[in-house]
Amino acid sequence: MLRTEHAPVRAPWVPSFRGLGAFFLCEFRVQFHEKISIVTSTIVQVVVLVFVGLLAPGLFGVALVGAIIFSFFTLGGRVQNEAAYVRVDHRLNQLYLASPLTAESYFFGMALGVLVAYLPPIVILFVLAEGLLLMSAATAAVLLGVSLVVWLFAISVGYVVSTLFKTMRAIWPWQSLIYTLFGVLPPVFYPLAYFPAALRWLALIIPPSAAAALVQGSLGDSTLSTGDVTLAAGSLVFEALVLFAFALYWARRTVMET
Amino acid sequence: MATATGGAPGALPQHGRVLPAFGIIGWRWISRNPASAISPILLPFVFLYFLRLISPIALFPLEVVGAMLFTTINVGNWVLADSATWRIELGIQDLFVASPLNKMRYLFGIAFSNLIAAAPALVALAILLGFATPVSPLGWAVLVGSITVLWVLFSAIGIALSSRLGSYREVWPVGSLAFTTLGLLSPLYYPLSVLPPVWREVALFLPATYAALLIQGTLGLVPQSSVELALDGAILIALAVIGTVVAISLYRWRTSGAG
Repeated sequence: MLRTEHAPVRAPWVPSFRGLGAFFLCEFRVQFHEKISIVTSTIVQVVVLVFVGLLAPGLFGVALVGAIIFSFFTLGGRVQNEAAYVRVDHRLNQLYLASPLTAESYFFGMALGVLVAYLPPIVILFVLAEGLLLMSAATAAVLLGVSLVVWLFAISVGYVVSTLFKTMRAIWPWQSLIYTLFGVLPPVFYPLAYFPAALRWLALIIPPSAAAALVQGSLGDSTLSTGDVTLAAGSLVFEALVLFAFALYWARRTVMET
Repeated sequence: MATATGGAPGALPQHGRVLPAFGIIGWRWISRNPASAISPILLPFVFLYFLRLISPIALFPLEVVGAMLFTTINVGNWVLADSATWRIELGIQDLFVASPLNKMRYLFGIAFSNLIAAAPALVALAILLGFATPVSPLGWAVLVGSITVLWVLFSAIGIALSSRLGSYREVWPVGSLAFTTLGLLSPLYYPLSVLPPVWREVALFLPATYAALLIQGTLGLVPQSSVELALDGAILIALAVIGTVVAISLYRWRTSGAG
């Protein structure tokens, strides 16, 4: 029987997640074997926490929350690296997509596998934050919620960027550029009040710093007006959903190209 | 006209072309991939910006020096990435081995090509340092000398690590772990005195610590006697020589390929 005989009819804009579970497990196992990568995934966070711990211990709590959000953000870089590696170095995407796996499941399954494999260091940071800051359930929920939205944004950017290059060597500088520029420069690891007041709006529309501002507001480390909260939460959710929808579309369009 | 096989090999120039050749490779890479030039510059500057926000203004010159040393240490990471690319992905190390190059020239060639990528950051930071604090000619000489020593040492470490990698996938995590950890453990961005006691003891085994102490002392950023400065310089050179010799002995030159 041919696979195409019973292929479900669906509108081209409706995503299909056939094979998601299987590919998630496959990718999780692949990623979980990369112990050095998992350890090094928090290296920038550790560097910044060391800086803060030594030079401004009073900001350690804010930096710790920032480290959690940044960790979710940099998972986009891991997806970018993995998607490029599978496609450029091994052309395995051809093999995966010759199976019943859909392009959407290939992208999202990879992202889920990366997420779960890289959770252990994030959980350690979360436990540290809970122990140090004694977060309320509401604040912990805000932290978790905004972190997941940042993750959705980051994996979408990471996957789309990964399709734009033909060599691994050319991808790394962009990975460093995107995630350091948008993850460390804006107020993610430091209070929103330290950022120039004239550019406050910018910090509130950049996903990692918008997420950090919402958590800082919930913790009482930053004072946010209703407008600030609306701008930060609205832009965070809007950018993540739009980018995710685009990444699903882009996956379908480009996944077989080498 | 001599051909590759027709003339005596000795008739062809065998020396003096490694650095210009690798210099062109380094320039071509950053001129064709601007992100490659921007990205290495960015990280030390981002750290510098962050530190400027959270630490006392008096530490700023010391942090600029730290950014220069951290950039130099990162050259080792790029050497690792380049030599791994050429060996694992492109499979051209065999070509280098078959050429008149030996492993020392290859090491210095790759190190030089990556120094070109680091040069814009180092120059920009040097200008910033000149504005942040007065630097005497002796200070500049010590700064350039220390950077040169660290450049050789960390490039040797990079190429040694690279030759031990079996998969291209390991390049980025191994490089980040090794060079960020080595850079972080030494008091590059802060005075040695702010480190907790155990960490301070560990830092005293690392060459970058002595480079930082030597420069900080020479520029008057941290008070040190001339005897202490001489001792810092001597220990820096001794540790760098030991580290470089060990790294080169661990470096596999002829066994290219996946092993």
